[in-house]
Amino acid sequence: MTDPVLSVTDLSIRMQGAPTDLVDGLSFDLMPGETLCVVGESGCGKSLTALALMGLLPTPPLRLTGGSARFAGRDLFAMSAPERRQIRGGDMAMIFQEPMTSLNPALRIGEQIAESVRRHSGASRDAARQRALEMLERVRIPAPHKRLDEYPHQLSGGMRQRAMIAMALANDPSVLIADEPTTALDVTIQAQILDLMRALQQQSRTALILITHDLGVVAEMADKVLVMYAGRAVEAGPAASIFRDPQHPYTIGLMSSMPSLGTRTDRLVTIPGVVPPPNALPDGCRFAARCPFADAACAAKPAFDMLGDGHGVACWHAPIEQTRSPAPAMGAIA
Amino acid sequence: MLAFLGRRCLIAIPTIILISIFVFGMQKLLPGDPVLAMAGEERDPEVIAYLREKYRLNDPIVVQYLHWIGNALRGDLGISLRTNQPVTELIGEKLPVTLQLAVMALIIAMVIGIPAGVLSAYRKGTWVDWVANTIALSGLSVPNFWLGIMMILLVSVKLGWLPASGYQPLSEDPLQSIKTMLMPAFVLGTAIAATLMRHTRSAMLGVLKSDYVRTARAKGLAEGVVLVKHALRNALVPIVTVTTLLFGELLAGAVLTEQIFTIPGFGKLVVDAVFNRDYAVVQGIVLCTGIAFIAMNILADAAYRVLNPRMTDL
Repeated sequence: MTDPVLSVTDLSIRMQGAPTDLVDGLSFDLMPGETLCVVGESGCGKSLTALALMGLLPTPPLRLTGGSARFAGRDLFAMSAPERRQIRGGDMAMIFQEPMTSLNPALRIGEQIAESVRRHSGASRDAARQRALEMLERVRIPAPHKRLDEYPHQLSGGMRQRAMIAMALANDPSVLIADEPTTALDVTIQAQILDLMRALQQQSRTALILITHDLGVVAEMADKVLVMYAGRAVEAGPAASIFRDPQHPYTIGLMSSMPSLGTRTDRLVTIPGVVPPPNALPDGCRFAARCPFADAACAAKPAFDMLGDGHGVACWHAPIEQTRSPAPAMGAIA
Repeated sequence: MLAFLGRRCLIAIPTIILISIFVFGMQKLLPGDPVLAMAGEERDPEVIAYLREKYRLNDPIVVQYLHWIGNALRGDLGISLRTNQPVTELIGEKLPVTLQLAVMALIIAMVIGIPAGVLSAYRKGTWVDWVANTIALSGLSVPNFWLGIMMILLVSVKLGWLPASGYQPLSEDPLQSIKTMLMPAFVLGTAIAATLMRHTRSAMLGVLKSDYVRTARAKGLAEGVVLVKHALRNALVPIVTVTTLLFGELLAGAVLTEQIFTIPGFGKLVVDAVFNRDYAVVQGIVLCTGIAFIAMNILADAAYRVLNPRMTDL
């Protein structure tokens, strides 16, 4: 068996002055060429995790309170700032959610890609520009020659995200983190961008961490899924296993709240209640207050138990089939 | 770019005409009749009539204005009542002096103000920020004339590093000229540097939070590159605006600074002209200053276009 390209253990992030961690003991492995989808609603710590892995966490007010991230045999969190910079944008790259604001409005597209190439490969100006052109061709931007010398405002949203992808992949990273790369785009463009990312990933065997709250995207892209709720991993495992047999009540809720064609119901299924605010996270199971299965046991923090096949869940009631009393909202799938 | 500059210059013409009308009208609105003053004690009606005819004061005001502006366009702004020198010649003599002072002050202000602003934004909330802000506040609070006098006392009298006053034309001895101008330019520049620092800081604070700065960091670029190439470049638009506005303050401040360091510049010319009711000179100076201001604004517009590629059709 091959070694994971990135191995995160017990990652914890805390906001200055907060009593509990915003991201609490997150662990996962990423294999070469694999796609890991991190799912969860906004504010669950998905993006913070990505920023922490990139070394871009705004510190202060946020800071790492524990954990390690082994990348190419070394702990990212133990590296010096220059060592991190060496990896950032080179062997480990990131695509952001907002292609509109993530490109520098005052610099030409070609320069923005080429500068990253020059930084990491020490290529000459001409060679880097050539590489930028090649990348724009690879991300299938129409008229790539022309785009090199254009500014971001002259490009459409989809083209800008393609340019961002070109920039991120220009140095053939072994890990690419994409934080909701399609959320800000039109639905028709979303599918194109996902297709493109998958095609490029297969060419280069880049491992992909895809952060999303869209289960449709997960179904399309994921090899493995990590479900997060209020800063903790609640369920993780191979995508097929998670979709076939979700174990955590939150995952089940997420899946049943996904509208599908064909079965038309009067009302969309929702998970009752709201996410606890970050300053009032319970010590025990953080989903307990919204969980139809919750009982006294849930006041203690559930361990992350492996059920086999790499499928794990953090719930006192797993496997869920043996637990009685599904709530009305969950009835749709029971 | 050339077409753009041409267009801006055309648009500036009505503004210049307005300024000229104002300048011309100012003379008519001021109390006192220069002819009576010139005619002397006796006020011989014949002499008065002669003078009125000579200076075309009997013409309708519009004709007078057209006559005046026609002469101005040919470079004739009249004769100084005090020195009998042509006004154009006087201005041509003094303007380069003040221009040199203003440009040097501006350079000093930018060299101090912009890096200080960048650093204090980058190190927001740390001692660097605190020190920069304190110095900026002192720079704003200390009056020019006091700083000027103190600097003369310290740098010239005590240390003897730089001359206390005087002026050397740039064309004759560039090094000496810059040396004599250094202290006044510094005094004039510091107040502006403080304002510039404050504005740079706030512009940078906004830009540093932006997504593209995060993208730049995600590329693994060194912090210096992120700060200057990605952040400062985008923060420069408001900085250019402030610098343009400060140019006016600079000209006003020059009046005082030139007095302290006895520099034979524009400022001294203005003060002398105003006290001696030398209207032709005052008019010429106001006209020149106005045009200089418009030129600064056109330059600023050109800078915007370079800095912000989105401003293409202005």
